[in-house]
Amino acid sequence: MDRRKSREKTTAKDASTVETLPPPQISASEAFMVNLVCVFGLAVAFSIANKGYSFALVSDPSPTLFFIWIIQLPIVILLFSRYRQNPQRCTYLRAVGRGMLGVPVGALLNSLGAIALGAPVTFQYFPKTVNWSLMMSLLTIVPPSCVLGSSWADWRRIFAQTKASGSVEYLICLPAHGAVIGGWFGAWPMPLDWERPWQEWPISVSYGAIAGYLVGVVASCGFVLAHGRSQRVKRD
Amino acid sequence: MKSGKGKWGYIWWHWVTLILHLLVILLFTKGFLLTRTELPFYSHSSDSHHSQCLSSHSNSSSWTKPSVNRVIIIVLDALRFDFLAPSTFFPESKAWMDKLQVLKNAASTHPSSARIFKAIADPPTTSLQRLKGLMTGGLPTFVDVGNSFGAPAIVEDNFLNQLVQNGKKVVMMGDDTWTQLFPHHFERSYPYPSFNVKDLHTVDNGCIDHLFPSLYEEDWDVLIAHFLGVDHAGHIFGVDSTPMIEKLEQYNKVLERVIEVLENQSGPGNLHENTLLVVMGDHGQTLNGDHGGGSSEEVETAIFSMSFKQPPSVVPPEFDTYSCQLDLDGKNVCISSMQQLDFAVTMSALLGIPFPYGSIGKVNPELYALGAGSQNLDVSQELSESDTWMQNYANTMCINSWQVKRYIDAYSASSAVGFSHDDLSRIASVYAQAEDHWSHSTKQLLINRNNDSDTLVPVLKMQINAYFIFLSTVAELARSKWTEFNLNLMGTGIGIMLISLVFQFLAILRANKLHSVTSSSSRDSWITSAATFSIFLLGIRACSFLSNSYILEEGKVANFLLSTSGIVALRQSIVNDKLLMESVGFLLLSTFCRFVIEVGLSKQAATSAFMKGYTSWILNIASGLPVWDYAAEVLPMLVLVLLGFWLYKATNGSIFVWPWKYVILGTILSYMLIILQWITDSSNRFGVALMPESIGRNSIPRIVYAIALGQFIFMAFGQLFKDNYLDCKTSLVAKTTAMLSTWSSIVILLSGKQGPMIALVSISGGYCIMRLNNIEEDNKEHHRSFSGGPFPVMQWSLFATCLFFCSGHWCAFDGLRYGAAFIGFEEFMLVRQAILLTIDTFGFSIILPVFGLPLLIATKYQTNRGKHFLFTQLSQMYSTYGFITAVMMTFTILCVTIQRRHLMVWGLFAPKFVFDVFGLILTDVLICFASIYYFVEGKDDLQLKSSGR
Repeated sequence: MDRRKSREKTTAKDASTVETLPPPQISASEAFMVNLVCVFGLAVAFSIANKGYSFALVSDPSPTLFFIWIIQLPIVILLFSRYRQNPQRCTYLRAVGRGMLGVPVGALLNSLGAIALGAPVTFQYFPKTVNWSLMMSLLTIVPPSCVLGSSWADWRRIFAQTKASGSVEYLICLPAHGAVIGGWFGAWPMPLDWERPWQEWPISVSYGAIAGYLVGVVASCGFVLAHGRSQRVKRD
Repeated sequence: MKSGKGKWGYIWWHWVTLILHLLVILLFTKGFLLTRTELPFYSHSSDSHHSQCLSSHSNSSSWTKPSVNRVIIIVLDALRFDFLAPSTFFPESKAWMDKLQVLKNAASTHPSSARIFKAIADPPTTSLQRLKGLMTGGLPTFVDVGNSFGAPAIVEDNFLNQLVQNGKKVVMMGDDTWTQLFPHHFERSYPYPSFNVKDLHTVDNGCIDHLFPSLYEEDWDVLIAHFLGVDHAGHIFGVDSTPMIEKLEQYNKVLERVIEVLENQSGPGNLHENTLLVVMGDHGQTLNGDHGGGSSEEVETAIFSMSFKQPPSVVPPEFDTYSCQLDLDGKNVCISSMQQLDFAVTMSALLGIPFPYGSIGKVNPELYALGAGSQNLDVSQELSESDTWMQNYANTMCINSWQVKRYIDAYSASSAVGFSHDDLSRIASVYAQAEDHWSHSTKQLLINRNNDSDTLVPVLKMQINAYFIFLSTVAELARSKWTEFNLNLMGTGIGIMLISLVFQFLAILRANKLHSVTSSSSRDSWITSAATFSIFLLGIRACSFLSNSYILEEGKVANFLLSTSGIVALRQSIVNDKLLMESVGFLLLSTFCRFVIEVGLSKQAATSAFMKGYTSWILNIASGLPVWDYAAEVLPMLVLVLLGFWLYKATNGSIFVWPWKYVILGTILSYMLIILQWITDSSNRFGVALMPESIGRNSIPRIVYAIALGQFIFMAFGQLFKDNYLDCKTSLVAKTTAMLSTWSSIVILLSGKQGPMIALVSISGGYCIMRLNNIEEDNKEHHRSFSGGPFPVMQWSLFATCLFFCSGHWCAFDGLRYGAAFIGFEEFMLVRQAILLTIDTFGFSIILPVFGLPLLIATKYQTNRGKHFLFTQLSQMYSTYGFITAVMMTFTILCVTIQRRHLMVWGLFAPKFVFDVFGLILTDVLICFASIYYFVEGKDDLQLKSSGR
């Protein structure tokens, strides 16, 4: 939960005045497709790492996480930049640009949060932490930075108050929360004395985060459906 | 509102809670730590006729044939196994290894007359428990740990008692624990005080002074010399230190001389013709010099034994446990292994006295064989020495097994909750099998002496094996089931604990009800969610006590939750767009705590996991450069100056009037004295003596204690006078600050150089929590009833737990910093040192947080809401704090109950339980004191309250 709040703070500095336009809307089937593509990206990353290079998350966390984020990076940025706010004033390329900017910033915030919660900081864990936080950044911060840009008010509304409205905001809010909370729970088995390799940092946390992300994805689909139905009722 | 009950209306809840908790602790501890019943029975020489075994001499009534006349037992306290064993037995050679060369050389040059044993002790590995275990041959029980600081005399039958009963004379020198355990057993004794861990030499020099003259005297049969230097050097400097190595080298010289004297006197007819030398440790120690637990480093100690009679090598390979390695000089050194449990009975067998009644050990064949030199008086011609020895040994084992069986039967008969029926019948059947074999075949063969060794040896081996099986079954059973848990008492304890929880919960709710007018006004979502969140945190923290891994890493778990709560607070402050600095600061602070805790845990881990050092980057930076040494000396003083300066500035404020102002000035004086003390210390270390050592060391701490005592008295008097504050909020702040500052000087003094840093951390953390507590306040109307609900209190409690670990403690007896108990005092006095140790252990984690809790309330309300409102809130806060502690205690109790058969119950859960018990009682008592101190008698001034509305 750490990362999301701290992150807004940084974006706040370049907050410019944004007229609040109605949040972009997409249909339920489109939202479903977006989620499907993201999950598909994850699955592809896993299978390439596994089949192509025979990396498993447990035995080689660093390269596997690297594959995940390098494959998710174009998918997430290109996909979510399409749903940017104020499409009239903000070009697609600009949205892509701020998505790219969101990657390191999000990674930094995620890693800071993880370190505050006790992630190891010794040198041998450095590449793992970097790759993990880049992956977390793509799961949590990059989608909103493509969509919301530097609108501090929106960031605060969605992440600090958890008041998402509109289908796109569900798509960025719920999976991100899911990933962070999942990661938090994923840290709990680490101190146990089961002596399993997956208890190492950051393997169980990554599993937790991805599981939480998937739950968030499913939930967001549900919310988008429900939201669309209520919109339709309203229109009627 | 009923203010009729006045002050006591707020307080009595806490007292009832305290009484309930005391009852719980009493009942539960009685059930949980009840352990072993000591039987009032003693072995007598004539008893052995009841057994099936052959009596050793036809007319003598002794149990076994005496095979040594005199025994010298030299106990080197906290002798690690690797002090004695050659370094080639270990993966890495360390500075402290290979120092006791003389013992190793003896073992390699006379393999049949000198042996090195790896002796496995049973936890708890404190000296008193071990001495008791060594002498009674039983398993020491955990409840004795509580007695470790005031050793009671042993009433059970034991080795020394048997010696005295059978006319042997015992001389003792060294550690005075022996004279406490055995007040009437020694012919002569030269005890020296054992508890001053800073003193490396008094006990040892005293031992040496008396040891050598005694070696030439005839008036004893057993001589015990107990050296403490290695234990103390470990406690103060750690294993890898120059004083430790110097101590070991000193011992090497002493032992060399002892062996020389004995060898010179070992000729026929001489004083030490048939003397056995035993050099042994009572327990091991970790690399930090800690002991008490059950880790392999703590339980592995060594026994070296040497006979000067040149006994033949008689132990058949089946019963030998040695493993051999070449040492650094290329000589072959063999090391056997034995249980410390077996020591008492083996020694008794060697000296030919009855075995202690409650012993459950077995006569160790290798150690027993060292007496073989004089056992072969009646050798029948056709048998070899080895076979004769085996005959003798088989008979000894027979008596040994009979004695153990007798004890087990008597124990089950007299103890209410003995061994279970299944176990007893299993033991009985194993014993019956062995006895059957004995009476049908072996005994006939032994009586009928004309057998040749081909028929005899296999039978004897089988017989000995059968007894081995029986004795190891008993020992195993005793180890696993010794502690008798009284489940009824434990259950009652848990039941009352639950009742007290409900009671405390009612106390919290009641305070809400008293303010029902205001509480309904705004039931804000943050309050509700924060309350839910704190219950969630509390629940998850409490549940974490159910697993040993989380107890081991409790500091990290608490810090994880603290950081989580910090993150949630940060999120909340973003929602409200204020106090960002404080919440980020709090998060940074908890991150900082995390690193400090890790350093502390690594210290703990370095001790338990042998060479697996955790190289944290902080440690890497901190070591090496001399600049860091100077910085480490100077920085605490600067921080302390800063703290003093803050206090000074605070006294200039208008809120501190006369009594409190002078109290705080006293604290500033104490701070200056502490700085003076440290300057003297460090200048001594860097070779400049500013002050004669005799004055500086003890007088300054004593002055600080005296000032603090004066401050307490002053504050108590201040209570008597009506304070001249207009509103009670300011008065509360003044009183709290005075109380905290008084405690802080003692706590900082005891914590040493880290004290000011931790004080700084706790002040900043406390400040952040206080400020964050106001997060929802003052943009709405200040009418709303209760603070952030339990959230800030939960944070406060988590933070306090983190401070416990930050200040270098952990929940084990080796986590106690015994050195702190001797700041300002050289000699040991139970009550005084126990108080100092308690203040050091719980100073930052319980004493300061409990007394500081009113600050959470006092900073919360800008306007004065009247006395009654304030005190109801304060009372509720204290109830909440007590409730949080009690919930965690409940889970510890539950965990201990569930895991009572766990492997680590004595190593991990029981210490945690004892620490929590202390913590809970201390918290309750302090809450009671604090409530007496803070709640002032008097009418609630009505006009103030109405103006507040």
